[in-house]
Amino acid sequence: MISKRWRDRLVYIAMSLFLAWHTLAMAVAPAPDSSVIVQSLRPLLQPYLTLFYLDNNWGFYAPTIDLGQQFRYVIEDGAGQRHAFVPTDERNWFLPDYWWFWQWYTAIMNSPTVFGDFATAWLCQKYASLHPVSVTLLGIEEKYFSREDYLNGKHPMDSEFVTVNTLTTAECRH
Amino acid sequence: MSALATIAAFGKKMGASAGHAWSRFWFQSMPTTPLEIVRIGVGAALFINYGLATPYLYFLWGESGWMPSSLLFQDSIDIWAQSVFFYFTAPWQWAAFHGVFLLCCAALVLGWRTFLLKWVVLVGQISYAYRNPYLPYGADQILSALLIILCIAPIGRAISLDRVRAMRAAKRRNIKAKLSAYTSPWTGACTRLMQIQMAVLFFFSGIEKIRGDEWWSGDALWALFANVDYYNHALLDLFASQYWLVNIASYLTILIEVAYPFLIWQRRTRLYLLAAAVFLHVQFAILLGLPYFSFVMIMGHMSFLRPEWLARLGAWWKRRIGAMEMIYDGRCGFCVRSLVWFLSFDGLGQIKVRNFRSNPSPVVSDAKMERALYLVLPDGRALPGFEAYRYVVLRVPGLWWQVPFFYVPVFSRLFGHPIYNWVAANRSRLSAVRFGLPRAPAK
Repeated sequence: MISKRWRDRLVYIAMSLFLAWHTLAMAVAPAPDSSVIVQSLRPLLQPYLTLFYLDNNWGFYAPTIDLGQQFRYVIEDGAGQRHAFVPTDERNWFLPDYWWFWQWYTAIMNSPTVFGDFATAWLCQKYASLHPVSVTLLGIEEKYFSREDYLNGKHPMDSEFVTVNTLTTAECRH
Repeated sequence: MSALATIAAFGKKMGASAGHAWSRFWFQSMPTTPLEIVRIGVGAALFINYGLATPYLYFLWGESGWMPSSLLFQDSIDIWAQSVFFYFTAPWQWAAFHGVFLLCCAALVLGWRTFLLKWVVLVGQISYAYRNPYLPYGADQILSALLIILCIAPIGRAISLDRVRAMRAAKRRNIKAKLSAYTSPWTGACTRLMQIQMAVLFFFSGIEKIRGDEWWSGDALWALFANVDYYNHALLDLFASQYWLVNIASYLTILIEVAYPFLIWQRRTRLYLLAAAVFLHVQFAILLGLPYFSFVMIMGHMSFLRPEWLARLGAWWKRRIGAMEMIYDGRCGFCVRSLVWFLSFDGLGQIKVRNFRSNPSPVVSDAKMERALYLVLPDGRALPGFEAYRYVVLRVPGLWWQVPFFYVPVFSRLFGHPIYNWVAANRSRLSAVRFGLPRAPAK
């Protein structure tokens, strides 16, 4: 039987060890991997960081602010008419679904070969009332837009400031 | 030999000092109140966020959605990245887990069975994150970091239904019983851990920005608001005509993030840094469309609330409302049980009680007390029955959840008075009903 004094001491040591461990994990997770200290601690801490989803670098909008991307699609109906859509405009950005769908669109733009097929099939189904023949997915990449451009009455989405990439085109099967 | 003894004594002294400093840094006895605020905020954020996700459950995390497991497991996944969704096979399992998770989030907000259910919330949050790794962003990462600390902390000891249950148990033994606020060194350690987490987060967020050219030159906010995702015509109009504002705002963001981890610890500067951090996140919520992220961050900052600030706020509220005395019929079992239940929500101890059978009131006559419970206010006014309850629910924070029932225009009074009068007239009969409780042994 362990005496109360020793039990308290053991609890204190266990708590202290956990606090030191977790603090170390919090500090190492966002630290640059190029550091020798981080390289030596990573293998030890990685399972813990991964298990509890703590492996973050906290670099919000840093070090650089990426140029914007916008996902669009064009539905061609049976009469040969083309309907263009900007899906992010259909959602309220104060609601979480805006960001979930934004992430999906980003995934499609970054990996159209992986996510394109599902997206086109889903869109064919969504716009079934238009009797779609095909769906074309587009990725719009922004270019640098300066203050002078703005003062000259331009808009970041004007054709001269964007590059339009056709990600994929798929036929709708009925 | 004597030199060795001196070195040993010096080492022992140094060790003792280090141990003492370690204990003082981590293990200061603290109430759980700041962590309870974080608990309520985090629980509410998760409940709303995943509640709104319900229509998209299968689309975002299911097999029929855009990330089926065949795609997810195409590349090898770290064995430590686990999700309960990996083990589900039928759609009903997704729905059942989602329902249980939402209930647990609600329980976390209310502080019901917190000891156990907070772990389900943590497992759920991590499971959603790993089931579709494309969806999580900053808010989810911070939530996991805060939740793990909440899980190891002894939360649910204040501003919670667990506390109400403990209070009720004490008051059932003695209606005047008071429970002292729960404090423990481990609470202090967990609060400190969350504070360090927020400081580390701001530190890295700040120095990452300094590394970037746009932030360094003070043009970052122009680049941000010219970006199609955050395009803000009114703001760009202002920034284009007054470009110095872009510089100021960019540098101010870095200044707050870099100053925070150093100045938040001092008594004198803490309030200013907290206010600055909250200000920053309110801007993010409004201008970048990130209310979820900002709210979660603000909740993390709440770990820096000093318990004495909250105690002062409670004392101020108590002073402002003034003392209230509820006079009840101690011979009526139903009345006592109801009052015990009601008083269990009075966490600030604003209501005093008096049993008119053993301690008659100088303000309300016994004849009046035979008909209804009374509430005596600081100015000497006495409110009977329904009006007494109606007055109290608005003034006792723990009872605010009852305000909608007592303050519906016309209806509350229309139905409240007859219901109360009926209960008061039949209280002897109601006292005989045991509601499933065992009958008290005859004396």
